[in-house]
Amino acid sequence: MINPLDIEQLFVIATQRENEAFEFYSAAARKVGDPSVRAMFQQLAKDEQGHFELLERFRSNPTDIMKIAPPAADWKVAESEAMPPLSTDMKPRDAIALAMKKEQQAVEFYHALGAAATTAETRHMFENLANMELGHKHRLENMFIDVGYPEVF
Amino acid sequence: MTNSIEELQDAKVLFVIGSNTTEAHPVISYYMKRAVKRGATLVVSDPRKTDLTRWATLHVQHKVGTDIAYINGLIHEIFKNGWAREDFLRECTENPDVIREGVRDYPVEKASEICGVPVETMRRVARILGEAESTSLCYTLGITEHICGTDNVKTLANLQMVLGNLGKPAAGVNPLRGQNNVQGACDMGALPNVFHNYQPVNNPELSAKIAKAWGVPSLPQKPGYTMPTMLRKALDGGTKILYCVGDNTVQTEPHMAHTIKELEALEFFVVCDIFDNLTTPYADVIFPDTAWGEEDGTFTNSERRVQRVRRALTPPGEARSHWWVMQELGKRLGKDLGFTSANAVWEDMRKSATSCAGITWERIESLGLQWPCPTLEHPGTTFLHRDGRFTRGKGLFSVTKWIPQAEPPDAEYPLVLSTGRRLWHYHSGTQTRNSKGFENIFGEELLEISPADAAALGIRNGDRVRATSRRGSIELTAWVTDRSAPGVVWCAFHFAEVCANVLTIDKFDSVTETAEYKACAIRVEKIGDGQPLGAGISRQARP
Repeated sequence: MINPLDIEQLFVIATQRENEAFEFYSAAARKVGDPSVRAMFQQLAKDEQGHFELLERFRSNPTDIMKIAPPAADWKVAESEAMPPLSTDMKPRDAIALAMKKEQQAVEFYHALGAAATTAETRHMFENLANMELGHKHRLENMFIDVGYPEVF
Repeated sequence: MTNSIEELQDAKVLFVIGSNTTEAHPVISYYMKRAVKRGATLVVSDPRKTDLTRWATLHVQHKVGTDIAYINGLIHEIFKNGWAREDFLRECTENPDVIREGVRDYPVEKASEICGVPVETMRRVARILGEAESTSLCYTLGITEHICGTDNVKTLANLQMVLGNLGKPAAGVNPLRGQNNVQGACDMGALPNVFHNYQPVNNPELSAKIAKAWGVPSLPQKPGYTMPTMLRKALDGGTKILYCVGDNTVQTEPHMAHTIKELEALEFFVVCDIFDNLTTPYADVIFPDTAWGEEDGTFTNSERRVQRVRRALTPPGEARSHWWVMQELGKRLGKDLGFTSANAVWEDMRKSATSCAGITWERIESLGLQWPCPTLEHPGTTFLHRDGRFTRGKGLFSVTKWIPQAEPPDAEYPLVLSTGRRLWHYHSGTQTRNSKGFENIFGEELLEISPADAAALGIRNGDRVRATSRRGSIELTAWVTDRSAPGVVWCAFHFAEVCANVLTIDKFDSVTETAEYKACAIRVEKIGDGQPLGAGISRQARP
């Protein structure tokens, strides 16, 4: 039987991460000059808010079993790109690259916690959270492919 | 192409402009015909009555070189009738008011005066495009081979953005590439201002990355010359050495007499090709290259699909793969590139550019992959800009203005010459003119002239005629045909003995330096009676 205290700690970690991401993208949106990139960061902040609310729903209803399937595929595009620095003159490509790298870090974070978990239940919970972040990464990787490889000469 | 060839068969509306698809891209034309059989509406806009017009719901015969006026007129009509996709304009474009304002100068009545298309026909085309769920737009060199080629392309992009036809299947802006592997050559960096996969040479960070990958201290960061500039600079000593691979320059550049002067002014000229052609006599050194059937490697087609090419025959004599020739040259110049095969060249490119990083020869053993394909896990990309996402974030409209051709017809040279390709021959004919089969099918170039112009000049089908521009003259046989509109004559540049580029003008698009092959002024006169061409001649343009 999973310890309720462990579940609570887990949700604290997860929601804190979503909150931090929300704060990061909101601050980034205020910082950048390009209107397209600003809109992109605003949307990402909104997405993180949505993720936060999703986790809160699970948190407030402990009888719900978290079951988040991984995306159909992991393209591993984030893994192939370097993390660009946040800057005022960021281009859309770099903004998406930054976001997908952050999702990659989140996946790795939950995988690491899952590997260190001492009970099957917490491991399962971390796997679900990793799947959720993998889904976000997948969506951002598809966006990156749309904008990341210009045929410009 | 923003989209894929196979998607053409699913199009509800196909808008083909400046493309003789059935002759220049016969395989792609099958997908268009399949779409028509499935109920699609096909609009072909072309000054010539090409074979594809037989399949068209509507053939719009606009005047040569008036594409900008014609398309801006359509956009004006689309806005006027509320057919613009306002949601796409709002969400996915940066400056919709700029285009709304920019086409105000092109009401259909005014556009019609310039492009020669009746107002009612323009309205009909605008309605077809405006009411369509989506439209796939295809174009070829009829759009780009003008002094305003870049603006022609921008105008087509404007049209598709106004209609929200980007980022979804069976839509898009689809240039059908002029050669089988021109996409691959561009991807490989055979351009003056980018490394492979469009990495700008003047970006210090990228330049340093590639220099490191190639094991050299640094790389030039200044863009090079385009080909017309290289040749032009031969005359003032700015270009001393020219190394030319698989390009029959004398026959394919405009204004042949001037091209020859440019080549003669070079200090040293190297040509690499598979046969002698009009250019090889000017070379100091000729390297015999392998032909396509003798070569291992890849071709990348118009839809960004990287495909394997395999050696089927042993190269004759001293012919060598060109990567090997370049490598041997490098060794003699003090740099061993260290490649051992064509695959090694591909791997070098793949590892230092992300858009093709996921495409290995193993993965394309049976079927090619379309880039972007950045990782080994990725399946490739069938269409770009999904949901209206563009590289720069939102789409940007550029207002374009129609300009007349560089050399309009006048009293002395009253006809417009437009040039292009025929079904049975390829480019300067270095390959196809050496094939007995093709020569048997189509062994002599013909000057296509409208019945009205022919009658006015006393020319009958099959007569010998002389075509003369301010740059030269050729003598050939007349084909009196309604494929040409009155006022326009047409011939190809495949035949060395009667090459259209003796006549064409060396005026270029200011951005790409593509020549205006599609429009120059000439006169035509009869020089002798000939044998009437058989009724089957029109079959020669039909795959």
